[in-house]
Amino acid sequence: MPPSSDLLQGTLDLLILKTLALESMHGWGIAQRIQQVSKDALQIGQGSLYPALHRLEYKGWIRSEWGASENNRKAKFYSLSPAGKKQLADELKDWDRLITAIALVLKQV
Amino acid sequence: MLKESLTRFRFLLSGKTHREVDEELQFHLEQQVQANISAGMLPQEARRHAVIAFGGIERARENCRERRPSYFIETLLQDIRYSLRGLRRSPSFTVTVVLTLMLGIGATTAVFSVVDRILFRSLPYSHADRLVSVGLIAPIQQQEFMLGGSYYEWRDNQTPFESLTSEIGVNPCDLTEERPARLDCAGVEATFLPTLGVSPLLGRNFTKEEDRPNAPRVALISYPLWLRRFNGDPGVLNKLIHLDGQPARIIGVLPKDFEMPTLEAADVVVPEALDEAAQRKGDPGRPMYGFARLKPGVSIPQAKAAMGPEFDYSLRLAPPMFRKEVHLQVRSLRDRQVHDVRLTAWILLGVVLAVLLIACANVSNLLMARGAGRDRELAVRSALGASRARLVRQALTESIVLSIAGSVAGSTFAVLLLRVFIAIAPEGIPFLSKAQIDTRIMLFTLLLSLVCGVIFGLVPALSRPRAEALAGRTSMTSSHAVLRQSLVVVQIMASMMLLVAGTLLFRSFWNLQNQRLGMHTESVVTATLSLGQKDYPTPERQMAFFQQLARQLRYGPGIRLLAMSDSLPPGGYHHDQIYAPIVVEGKPRKKGGTGGLVTWRWVTPDYFRVLDIPILQGPGFTEDELSSKDHFIVLSRSLASRLFPDQDPIGQRLQLSGGGTDDPWYRVTGVAADVKNSGLTGEDEPEYYRLRRNASADWDGRSSIVVKTSLPTDAVQRWIHSQVASLDPTEPVDIETLSERVSKLADQPRFQTVLVAFFAVTGLVLAVIGLYGVISFLVVQRTQEIGVRMALGASRMAILRLVLGKSLRLIIWGTSLGLLAALAASRVLSSLLFSIGPHDPVTFGIVTLLLFLVALLATLIPAGSATKVNPIVALRCD
Repeated sequence: MPPSSDLLQGTLDLLILKTLALESMHGWGIAQRIQQVSKDALQIGQGSLYPALHRLEYKGWIRSEWGASENNRKAKFYSLSPAGKKQLADELKDWDRLITAIALVLKQV
Repeated sequence: MLKESLTRFRFLLSGKTHREVDEELQFHLEQQVQANISAGMLPQEARRHAVIAFGGIERARENCRERRPSYFIETLLQDIRYSLRGLRRSPSFTVTVVLTLMLGIGATTAVFSVVDRILFRSLPYSHADRLVSVGLIAPIQQQEFMLGGSYYEWRDNQTPFESLTSEIGVNPCDLTEERPARLDCAGVEATFLPTLGVSPLLGRNFTKEEDRPNAPRVALISYPLWLRRFNGDPGVLNKLIHLDGQPARIIGVLPKDFEMPTLEAADVVVPEALDEAAQRKGDPGRPMYGFARLKPGVSIPQAKAAMGPEFDYSLRLAPPMFRKEVHLQVRSLRDRQVHDVRLTAWILLGVVLAVLLIACANVSNLLMARGAGRDRELAVRSALGASRARLVRQALTESIVLSIAGSVAGSTFAVLLLRVFIAIAPEGIPFLSKAQIDTRIMLFTLLLSLVCGVIFGLVPALSRPRAEALAGRTSMTSSHAVLRQSLVVVQIMASMMLLVAGTLLFRSFWNLQNQRLGMHTESVVTATLSLGQKDYPTPERQMAFFQQLARQLRYGPGIRLLAMSDSLPPGGYHHDQIYAPIVVEGKPRKKGGTGGLVTWRWVTPDYFRVLDIPILQGPGFTEDELSSKDHFIVLSRSLASRLFPDQDPIGQRLQLSGGGTDDPWYRVTGVAADVKNSGLTGEDEPEYYRLRRNASADWDGRSSIVVKTSLPTDAVQRWIHSQVASLDPTEPVDIETLSERVSKLADQPRFQTVLVAFFAVTGLVLAVIGLYGVISFLVVQRTQEIGVRMALGASRMAILRLVLGKSLRLIIWGTSLGLLAALAASRVLSSLLFSIGPHDPVTFGIVTLLLFLVALLATLIPAGSATKVNPIVALRCD
């Protein structure tokens, strides 16, 4: 079951950008990190991860370069570009607004 | 920022390679395997689990590929390639569609570009939408005009306009310098150019002071004249030119796109220089044309209402007999310019839109038939994983490729068609010669073809490929069948309307061509001259020239008879007067009304014999009367019976202009048969002929020489030309046969008829192709069913009935709906029709029958092939 379908539209982009904000990482690492941090609640399948990574790269928000992994294998590492940083800030703001709004509605009703 | 754009651009061009993506995915898999091994699995087991968790590698790869920015273009190119390949494989389909689109789009574009110049062009004045033509409508003239006696009163007291201005018309004038030239001079008021919002390209407009009778003369010249005569020299300002022998100073050059609001050609604009005080007292004063700029927010009806008091002032001035027949006119400038071609323009537009409708319906039908034939292919593609959107896109791509091909062919066709229009069009259709396919019209074409492509391509594209189609059982979706059949009904309906319009116009044209003119035009040659003011300033000189010419021509080779007249029937220029002022000796004056118009001409005695107009009573004019001091007149039969209902008119005396003491008496010496005299379509007017004696008072600068000849007319034309040249080589002369003159009058109706008939036939052909296509497709689709029927014992006749019954239903629906629509729509044509009603039963009968037969023929071929179906073959296939 691809867990990403449970994610809100566009949330995967936010998660990837946020994860990459700390350090540059390869795809596998990103998936593992999200899984760990969310305590296994969010599992990102490769079927949605890589298309999303490529889309973000085509948009110019992240960059990629080949490097060596922990076990010395050739892997592609992604990092946040300046435009990506700005995008992350914007999306975080939007997210906060959305959460606040939903919370308000939920408390009210 | 720049770097990011560059990155993006790079990706657009290349994107990630397959290998890059594969390596990345492979790494992910390896990591999973590693993780599984770390969790304690055996290496083989670890790999198996990792692959299961990973899911479809191929799908992930595809998903990544679809993210590439260039993906859209790639698939588009792929679709286009695929479409082109498909179209090449069925050339007859492609050619039919492209030809159909070419006809529809080409015709529409060509007509639109003509109509556009007439109906929608922007006028070369600032805020032209607020410009109006203001004046009086009276029976003497078709267009509104003003009179000096009222104009100044109107100008000073009007409220609805920012300004009201006048011009006194365009008249020929001679440039009397080293290189003399005949020009057209427009006389306008000082406020004329400012009111139109026209400012000179160079120099200035003339002032109020310069627009006075005895002010030093000034002139503005047109842009073409500036280029032609002064080589576009800016130093032309303040130069003196001699107009009709008088010096005038050039004070300005008009803008390139300047035109008179009446659309008359003008080379020079001069002050009208009227004596205002004299005009105010004038009765009726100088005829002129009024133009005005509406105040912002004032509508034309409001302006018309606000001009009420001024109009009443003019009515009080008008002679009592006029009052009931004079009206106030305020209308937009555009309306004045296009008043008599507007209807033709709209009808043409309607006609080509009908053709376009038929063409589009045809294309749609063809596309649908093709779509239905490819049911199985689509089903296979869909089973292989093509998404619905992808299939729709592919189908759309194909129809857009087709419509672009069609629009390219259509534009080429439009350019050709436009050339043909311009070549066959009569004079007097404004701007036709300037019509061209410009960017706007190209866009219009493109839009049209895209609408054709998208809308009509979408219908078949949206059909869902059905699983049954895979089984190969071809069966027509019923909703499609209904849609296609209703398209055919619409086509038949539209072509019915086109045919009715075409036939009505054709029959009307036939009536026009074959009406009795009241004279004989065979072997009559006319030569018309209009003598210039410079060389022939006095009536004596003019008379001397014409009489000398007549003497030279009279005994020339093949000249049997010769006469002179200042105008010729049946149309064009001639004198008019109002009936009411004609006074009969010994009878009381007529009261009430103007009595309408009476045509009159100056003629010499042989005029009636040259044109073969019978003199019904009296001797007519004689040679002796030419040198008499008395005045003589010949009446047309209708005028004679109106003036002398129960009397012999011969020998009676008339006064022509109201019967004052200095109004000469004319003795009636004959009654001539009626001759057509208001053009070919107009209601005939009563007419009289005044004898042009050997007295200069009877002459002016304009005369036509008419000769009856026994030689071929072209030889005589050449001979007359040489004789005129021998007298004065600089005088332009217009020589043509009387038949040519008459035929020219029919140019406009001929133009309408040819165009509408052409489009009607085009529409009919397209509709028949459409019907043929639908029925033959129906037969192909039902081949199997027909085979079964035949195997079960149906006779060939029964099969024929089956197929014909289907198409008959379509034909009957189409013709009856078309009949109703045509009955409703043909009323629009009534003002273009000559002695035939818009609901002429013969026309409707012929068209219905014709359409019915042609449509039936179109279905007989596929119906015939249906009866030849071999049941064994039909049952075996699939």
